[in-house]
Amino acid sequence: MLDDINKDKKHSSPRTKSSSISGGERDVDYVRPADIPDQELYHGHSFLTKWIFCQDAKVIGVQYTLTAVFTGVVGLILSWMMRMQLGFPELFPFLTAESYYQMVTMHGMIMVVYLLTALFLGGFGNYLIPLMVGARDMVFPYVNMVSFWMFFVAVVVLMASFFVPGGPTGAGWTLYPPQAIIEGTPGSGAGILLMLVSLSLFVIGFTMGGLNYVITILQARTRGMTLMRMPLTIWGIFTATVLALLAFPALFVSAIMMTLDKVLGTSFFMPVMMKAGELLAYDGGSPILFQHLFWFFGHPEVYIVALPAFGIVSDLISVHSRKNIFGYRMMVWAIVGIGALSFFVWAHHMYVSGMSPWFGFFFATTTLIIAVPTALKVYNWILTLWRGNIRINVVMLFCLGFIVTFVNGGITGIFLGNVIVDVPLSDTYFVIAHFHMVMGIAPLMVIFGAIYHWFPLITGRFLDEKLGKLHFWITFLGAYSIYFPMHYLGFIGVPRRYFEMYNSPYMPSTIGMNEFISIAVFVVGAAQFIFFFNVVKSIRLGKPSGKNPWKANSLEWLTPDVPPAHGNWGEKLPVVHRWAYDFSVPGAKEDYIPQTTPPSEVIEAEVEKT
Amino acid sequence: MTDPNLNKLPGGFKGMSTDIGSDQTAFKGVNWGKAMMWIFLLSDTFVFSCFLIAYMKVRASVVDDWPYPSEVFGLEVAGVPVPLLLIAIMTFVLITSSGTMALAVKYGYEKNRKLCGLFVLLTAIGGLTFVGMQAFEWSKLIFHDGVRPWGNPFGAPQFGAFFFMITGFHGTHVSIGVIFLFIFARKVYRGDFDTGRRGFFTTMKSDYVAIEILGLYWHFVDLVWVFIFAFFYLW
Amino acid sequence: MWTGIVFLAVIVGSIAFHVFTPWWWTDIASNWGAMDDTIILTFWIGGGVFILVCLFMVYCIFKFSYKENRKAEYKPEDKKLETRLTWITALGVAALLAPGLLVWNEYIRVPPNAINIEVMAWQWGWKYRLPGEDNKLGTSSVKNISDDNPFGINNDDPHGKDDILIESSELHLEKNRPVKILLRSIDVLHNFYVPQFRAKMDAVPGVITYYWFEPNKNGEYEVLCAEYCGVGHYAMRASVVVQDKKDYKKWLAQHKTFSNYLAEKFEQNSLKKAKIVKFNNLLSNEKSILKESN
Ligand code: HEA
Ligand code: HEA
Ligand code: CUA
Ligand SMILES: [Cu+2]
Repeated sequence: MLDDINKDKKHSSPRTKSSSISGGERDVDYVRPADIPDQELYHGHSFLTKWIFCQDAKVIGVQYTLTAVFTGVVGLILSWMMRMQLGFPELFPFLTAESYYQMVTMHGMIMVVYLLTALFLGGFGNYLIPLMVGARDMVFPYVNMVSFWMFFVAVVVLMASFFVPGGPTGAGWTLYPPQAIIEGTPGSGAGILLMLVSLSLFVIGFTMGGLNYVITILQARTRGMTLMRMPLTIWGIFTATVLALLAFPALFVSAIMMTLDKVLGTSFFMPVMMKAGELLAYDGGSPILFQHLFWFFGHPEVYIVALPAFGIVSDLISVHSRKNIFGYRMMVWAIVGIGALSFFVWAHHMYVSGMSPWFGFFFATTTLIIAVPTALKVYNWILTLWRGNIRINVVMLFCLGFIVTFVNGGITGIFLGNVIVDVPLSDTYFVIAHFHMVMGIAPLMVIFGAIYHWFPLITGRFLDEKLGKLHFWITFLGAYSIYFPMHYLGFIGVPRRYFEMYNSPYMPSTIGMNEFISIAVFVVGAAQFIFFFNVVKSIRLGKPSGKNPWKANSLEWLTPDVPPAHGNWGEKLPVVHRWAYDFSVPGAKEDYIPQTTPPSEVIEAEVEKT
Repeated sequence: MTDPNLNKLPGGFKGMSTDIGSDQTAFKGVNWGKAMMWIFLLSDTFVFSCFLIAYMKVRASVVDDWPYPSEVFGLEVAGVPVPLLLIAIMTFVLITSSGTMALAVKYGYEKNRKLCGLFVLLTAIGGLTFVGMQAFEWSKLIFHDGVRPWGNPFGAPQFGAFFFMITGFHGTHVSIGVIFLFIFARKVYRGDFDTGRRGFFTTMKSDYVAIEILGLYWHFVDLVWVFIFAFFYLW
Repeated sequence: MWTGIVFLAVIVGSIAFHVFTPWWWTDIASNWGAMDDTIILTFWIGGGVFILVCLFMVYCIFKFSYKENRKAEYKPEDKKLETRLTWITALGVAALLAPGLLVWNEYIRVPPNAINIEVMAWQWGWKYRLPGEDNKLGTSSVKNISDDNPFGINNDDPHGKDDILIESSELHLEKNRPVKILLRSIDVLHNFYVPQFRAKMDAVPGVITYYWFEPNKNGEYEVLCAEYCGVGHYAMRASVVVQDKKDYKKWLAQHKTFSNYLAEKFEQNSLKKAKIVKFNNLLSNEKSILKESN
């Protein structure tokens, strides 16, 4: 097997001068021989094994995406109802405080975990990793398939909680005990249990997928694909997956412990408590312990959804401004550095939680240090635009929207990270505005950009540009005008998770703003259906794109078939000779040089060593 | 960074990063399954660390007295209370099974089907014994001493809670390991790793590396036990 | 072209919104003006960075939009530029962090002359306890809470006897006198937050947390619970009245101490008991036996 590949290598580069390893002149096209055998794949035969229990990472990716988007639509509808209450209270009598809190909780959890995490890692990860690193598939296709179905069951369990007596949990997505599991919180019976079970299933399922992503990237790249030649998308997804593998355990453990507190009456997180004049049976547990566990998961989690977005947006910006990404090495180290640092900042969510105030010094410092690598990424994005040749198409628009919203949200993060500034702002709408800007809008911009970008690869057709522009402008301008003013509610002091507060002496001034925000939300939400329409229409009727329509360099565009077939590469695996960003190289005829082009074919190009 | 020639690596950190960063594999010559098991174990380490850190935090902060392990976990042999007897035997059995596992891996690499299978089987039996003894210990604590997850006669209620949760979680790991050991013992005896017979679920061939991967898991479970042992019985 | 203009409008609009906004924080009524100052400082630095980054981006859109015959620059790296940017950012971050930490250091050090006030939170309301003449609060535990002892004060603790109990949700504070708020909760997490004072902290069942401030403006302020605590969270309000020393003393005098309270309850109870004895002699006998055996 190995020998075959080696022979094959000589064959594919006829211009070999000398296959020297020991001195002499080096063959410019030389790529090390393969050190892993070609992967054997299971090909499905029936409908069931081809489309349902399919082991092809591309199909699994699409399955993940569809399921995640479904949950996202549920989350979107929940946010409509929440805004209905906040903007126009008493219009709908069925919106009680109980149901409001249930909606907030499910909205938060669905959006963060079941939409973004699943979509970036499960969806984009599965689709892009094997293609971009030049593998035939994930290394363990079977486990990968099980991973999706675990996720699917987790979603089913989550959705089931809408229908159990008492309804879904209304504990807030942070699920803080003791409140989460005792009466007085909506859904403190079956609802919270199903939530905990669903999260545990999600973690187990994700671990299966995550191991696949990590090993595929580490051990199954194609020849010539060194780590420092991988597209940043892969770096982002890789680092995020590693974060997830190390952060989800804390969620898993806290879910188990809380389940036991609920079901068996243990007191891990439950102190002595008095409910309605009665002492409860709990004694001696520590609620703050839960918060530490939760945020040890929760903070890396927010970067789990941010890092893939960082990676993807770097690639999109580079391709569409026809320019190499500026400071690639710095970008890689920034991603890795942000990932590592994110394990040391969790308690910035707990500045006013009653933990020892001395932690404030440490965590404020680490939190603000994270701003430095993040800032470098931002600089490098805009420096990539500088002297580029920018195609202002829908993909680029979403990237630009991402930069604006991310910088805005990142800087409000700096407000919150500085411990003393967090004191007045914590638990107000300022926090809500911060994380919607940086997590609700910015990564969604990237997702949309990425879908417009890779749709031609998946379906062989373009999405409609006109509809796309309409979709972009409504979403971007609308969402910005939702969340930018919302910060100022936080300055006034409006607390988050308030069902209503109009009898408050300083609230009248907020009524108008809340109404405005709500109307904007209905418009923005509705605009998403333009996008869904665009997708449905373009699958059938879109303009055929042909191969590599964006003139990109990375491997996923270089498959023999479009859309790529099972096994991705046909007979022979690609051989990589350069990084993914050789755009507009001086001396080259075209303004792009695909990763598989050997140096000898573009002798004139003055490529920098990468 | 790009120099594909790994025969002449520069020394030190630079050489290491060139090696790891070079094409195809970050860990040269490491089988996919083995790499996966390592990463999984890293993740699992975090699970157990979270459990144990939570345990330490709560134990340090509860107001009620923490029960004395040597009394709670003692056994009476011929009327004489011997502290930690059962635990000592359990630990011994588990550590021994790590030894037999190591032998199984060795014979696996020698493609010695018979001996490899035998040692996998012995390991499985060791694990099973461990689980059995743990079941005995649990039932003693529950039925004889009246320890419950939500309370116990000796002191802080979290004692039972953490004990059952953490040893239970570890016991689950051991049990899963035992199941796989039995399955793999059968596979080895049947010669699946010699003939390249395909797995039932995965439809993929595998070879004796599978034994080593299972061994990694098994040693890890043993190692975790050492920590649990130290934290619960010796602290 | 249009794209650049719209993005420019977004930036200009953001600045305009910030400058002309009618929504702004409430007038401060405590000593924590330094918090407002750090926020303003962050606005200047952060806002400046936001504007610069976005303007740069808009400039690129105008200047480098796609032209068929233009070729983009090829420049993978610029070590010098990157290092310079790193240092500038690090400086900016340090400029924000240093003053922030200084103020935080003040926030966690309670001045010695602060009066201790216990805020007891429950689902969904507030009660307060003030120290009596000895200036000390008696120790307490949720387990002691009963009809006769709503705060769960330890009966054996002499400091507790003269504590002043305030069972209404209205708290009065003396102007210009630092207070240390000691937070207790008997059930779930809560957070005692008065926007005008800026400060806040969670009340955590099982432990006592604290923060301090010095009210410096007379008036009545609304207390908001700022940590989610179940369905009644949004309704868990109360009020704080800041007043001059004279009025404050008057208000204080209206409230009972713990021993007063106990005495009163004792009377009520014995009255009740007398009735019950009349009513059902046997039952009450049994009850008192039970009580004693407890
Ligand atoms: C994608 C998700 C995401 C991302 C990337 C971030 C990024 C950051 N977040 Fe945010 N955050 C959340 C999601 C996210 N956050 C969520 C979901 C919550 C609330 C959870 C809940 O309670 O429900 C939250 C809450 C939250 C809090 C707790 C608030 C509270 O509850 O009281 C804090 C406090 O420190 C914080 C800080 C930060 C910081 C410092 C960053 C930094 O990483 C930002 C760094 C980026 C920049 C700074 C911008 C670019 C930089 C420049 C252009 C350079 C120059 C800048 C300067 C010199 C200032 N976040
Ligand atoms: C990624 C995360 C995410 C996203 C996208 C959103 C989107 C939205 N969120 Fe929120 N939200 C959270 C995460 C998110 N949210 C979290 C974690 C909380 C805290 C919960 C808690 O306190 O416990 C919260 C809380 C929260 C509150 C505070 C409630 C309270 O404290 O009382 C409000 C109030 O207005 C709100 C509103 C909205 C609105 C109007 C939208 C949107 O409708 C904005 C406009 C819509 C879009 C920009 C498009 C979205 C499109 C899709 C979802 C479809 C997906 C399809 C594809 C990607 C193809 N959200
Ligand atoms: Cu009390 Cu919220
Ligand atoms: Cu965070």
